[in-house]
Amino acid sequence: MRLAGSLERKKKFSFKNLLVFLILLVGSMVLLTPLCWMILTSLKSPQEIMQYPPPFLPQKFHFSNYLEAWKTGNFTRWSLNTLLIAVMNTIGNVLVNSFVAYGFAKIRFKGRNVLFILVLSTMLLPGFVTMIPQYILFSKLGWVNTYLPLIVPAFLGSAFNIFLLRQFMMTIPNEIAEAAIMDGANHFRIWWTITMPLIKPALITVAIFSFTGAWNDLLGPLLYLSDENLYTLQLGLQTFKGSVQTQWNYLMAMSVMVLIPTILIFFIFQRYFIKGANVSAGMKG
Amino acid sequence: MKKMVGSLFLTVMIILATILTGCSGKDVSASSKGKVVVDFWTFWGSETRRPVIDKIVNDFNNSQDKIIVKHTFIPWGDIWTKNLAAVAAGNPADVVINDINSVSQRAENNQVEDLSAYIKANTFKEQFYTNLWDTVLYKGKPYAVPFTTDTRLLFYNKDAFKDAGLDPNKPPTTWKELEKVAQKLDKKQGEKYTRIGYYPLFGGFGAPSWLKNADDGMGFVEDGKLKIDTPKKVKALKWLVDWQNRYGDKTIQTYEAEFSNGQTNPFIAGKVALYTDVGTFYTQIRDSGTKMNFGVTTMPAFDEKSKPWSDGGGFVAEVPKGAKHPKEAMQFIKYLTGEKAQKYWAEKNYDNVANKKAAETVMQGLTGDAKVVYQEAVKSLQYTTLSPVPIHYPDYQNRINPFIDRAMKGKMSPDEALEKAEKDVEKMKQ
Amino acid sequence: MEKGTVSQVDTGLTQMALNRERTKVPVRFVSQLNWKQNVTGYVFVLPWIIGFLCLTAGPLLFSLYASFTDYNITSKMNFIGLENYKRMFTMDDMFWTSLWNTIYYVVFSVPLTTIGAIFVAVLLNQKVKGMRIFRTIFYLPAILSGVAVYFLWMQLLSPSTGLVNQFLHIFGIEGPSWLFDPNWTKPALILMKLWGVGGGMLLYLGRMQGIAPSLYEAADLDGANSLEKFFHITLPMITPIIFFDVVTSTIGSFQIFQEAYVMTQNGEGGPSNSLLFYNLHMWNNAFKSFDMGYASAMAWFLFGIIMVLTFINLKAGRKWVYYEGGDGK
Repeated sequence: MRLAGSLERKKKFSFKNLLVFLILLVGSMVLLTPLCWMILTSLKSPQEIMQYPPPFLPQKFHFSNYLEAWKTGNFTRWSLNTLLIAVMNTIGNVLVNSFVAYGFAKIRFKGRNVLFILVLSTMLLPGFVTMIPQYILFSKLGWVNTYLPLIVPAFLGSAFNIFLLRQFMMTIPNEIAEAAIMDGANHFRIWWTITMPLIKPALITVAIFSFTGAWNDLLGPLLYLSDENLYTLQLGLQTFKGSVQTQWNYLMAMSVMVLIPTILIFFIFQRYFIKGANVSAGMKG
Repeated sequence: MKKMVGSLFLTVMIILATILTGCSGKDVSASSKGKVVVDFWTFWGSETRRPVIDKIVNDFNNSQDKIIVKHTFIPWGDIWTKNLAAVAAGNPADVVINDINSVSQRAENNQVEDLSAYIKANTFKEQFYTNLWDTVLYKGKPYAVPFTTDTRLLFYNKDAFKDAGLDPNKPPTTWKELEKVAQKLDKKQGEKYTRIGYYPLFGGFGAPSWLKNADDGMGFVEDGKLKIDTPKKVKALKWLVDWQNRYGDKTIQTYEAEFSNGQTNPFIAGKVALYTDVGTFYTQIRDSGTKMNFGVTTMPAFDEKSKPWSDGGGFVAEVPKGAKHPKEAMQFIKYLTGEKAQKYWAEKNYDNVANKKAAETVMQGLTGDAKVVYQEAVKSLQYTTLSPVPIHYPDYQNRINPFIDRAMKGKMSPDEALEKAEKDVEKMKQ
Repeated sequence: MEKGTVSQVDTGLTQMALNRERTKVPVRFVSQLNWKQNVTGYVFVLPWIIGFLCLTAGPLLFSLYASFTDYNITSKMNFIGLENYKRMFTMDDMFWTSLWNTIYYVVFSVPLTTIGAIFVAVLLNQKVKGMRIFRTIFYLPAILSGVAVYFLWMQLLSPSTGLVNQFLHIFGIEGPSWLFDPNWTKPALILMKLWGVGGGMLLYLGRMQGIAPSLYEAADLDGANSLEKFFHITLPMITPIIFFDVVTSTIGSFQIFQEAYVMTQNGEGGPSNSLLFYNLHMWNNAFKSFDMGYASAMAWFLFGIIMVLTFINLKAGRKWVYYEGGDGK
């Protein structure tokens, strides 16, 4: 059912596409401004930062700020720690939440709706009233000052991701699954071999959210880690925030560095966001 | 299917690896090699303060062989929350650096240990400034030991004074003088102020501080009684409202917004000629590279008969409730607040320390501007009152502020504002 | 398999709607199937149930009980009945201020960010040069987190030297004092939220990738223009995601905290308490006054509000959300 008339469309496209391109370009410049400012601040000397009005460009580019900032703390170790936590979180979140979401989206079982509402309701309560009781709970388990409180929950499902993946799974027509059941496949097979590939963009989204969430998490590591060798990057960044004065140049430099892996992850993974690659109508083999 | 099993296996392996590495960070709080490990939490992680506290810790560890102090950095601002959670769970650190003004509040809420059992000599408390020691007492017993303190001073731009025809060596000493001087130092370009001589609410003094200064150093709560609606305080609030009306809402907001992010400072930038801040502000001036000649003096007195009352804060070293090694913790605290460590801290960080002898010794070693500022700070300490959180009205500040705010915006007269504020705070008595 | 599914790819929504018809299954099969279905269903949902029972339920119930006590975290927990709730509604002015501030924020930020995210997703779904870079740039603000960002924004929002006002100046507009003008503090935060619209954009983009191109091609055949294609194909197909976005944005916006905590002095709620959001007021009660019982009461009241709103969303959702896979009823 390929269409004719694509030549005609090409002509229309170039005008529409130009407009889109321009809007995106302007939008990008606006969005990048804070980041630009962050990078410029990271290259200034402390005196320049204190100047008023603040100069746009530093006189000299103090790339040494990055080196100095890195040396102040144990940033190498902290990067590896954070990487470990983030990767584990991503794996856990993607696998477990899609598993649970499948149950909610594709299987009609008794009490499903009530249970789903319970899942949603766990998102409703502000985190820090349960923060202390949860800390005490983890403390009794002996998990304080380990990574367990930061990783295990990722393998036990999170309401946000379950909800998200359920929505995506419900956009997949059931005909394929039903045909597979007729062929004798059980739900586990359908989940793994049919549904998962079809919601790849959603899984990638969960992976990206999960990775960046764990990468940028401050409260968890702050509460549960008391050994500086176990610290994560966000926690380490706080060394520059002082009670009297904050070392802005180092803080910005390290913030830029901390940002880079998440940008990379996004850039790499977004190749799965190709149009029509995961057609819900199951055109793929 | 193979792929699935393969990846599941990989996942399990990774989980195991995680658990193993996660566990390796377990704290050995039991004696290691026969020594007692004392957990010490501070928020000093910057490149200036970290080496100083680390050296003090190392010196202590090397000076005896029964205790090892382990110093961990916890981010500023979040350290209180973490400490609280740890106390609640029963596994806190052994020594924590905390805020001085809330010691009695923590004592009342059972968050700190009573230290009187570990302080044998009556003379221990004489090492410290009296007002500091008084603040760490709860029901007559000490629950923390003062470590550092601070006081607010009036910094002024000597160059600006000269330009305006004022004597740079004669800063204002009373509220009236301050007003006169400030107006002479205003600079305008058409309708806009390019420099404000002085605004009382910029910097380290807030409305409560001024009201206290006017009322002979008496805060909002004295001996458990509310002293919000007093005649002198009403006068002070009126004075503040006049300042605000003179410059106008918009100017003040613009100034505040410009300098709120903490990166630039209006005094250093030359946008105000007089500025209130703590003694350590001197280090900011020094590090900014500015060529300005500045002077410093104690805060102005309400009138000729009053004293230059200032606000103070500070930090203490305390033992959280439930700490595993309170005795050893106290030993370390005694070293930390002893003359040697305090002198080193004051020298390197330019902080006002709680130990009187240390403060005086350090002062003798300073020169130039550093010495002048330190001297004024020590002078000001005599008239510095702290603002401990009152037990029965822990929320008092948050309840009073909206009323002061309304008075400042002209929505309420100062009399009415303070009267209503006192009634409101009384309502929320715990 | 392919043949049966190709037949779905027809023009017009009506055809798709008709596909919601479920096929009937013989009765004796049903009861067996049902039992097996139930077990399988629970097996799938098991990880969450374990997590809930072990890690969440306890603390949740604890905080619910705490809301009826004078719990102060470290030394007391006496039952005081509805005292906290009474105090909340009758004696605490700031409770109402914080509630109003939060509702204001929710009412403006949720629609604006949802529409913004959809708009941006549509833009980024075109075949334009440099798409990968654009997408990364638009997503960037969402992953820029931490204290540094808030301070950056405080600088950008400075009245005279901040770039925002300098930009407005080009058009002859004199910008307000943003974070220091009580009337503009909340709009400032909404502006910050809009900057991070890339997060939501990702969801919509992901969904849009899954819409069969043949649908659009068929519409082209019918002579539809871009707007019509958007409103008749794209929009209905992304309704499940819009639903998700609205529900989670509402829940999230009601809990705004971090920005106000960092950007106001000492977390006090800004000029004239204009940034005193519900969660901030709760935090101050919990960790400054150590009145955790009262804070818990506030938390559960918020829970109630959001619960009601979510229910409304869910019920309304049945009317306008279209699930291609049927709504599993």
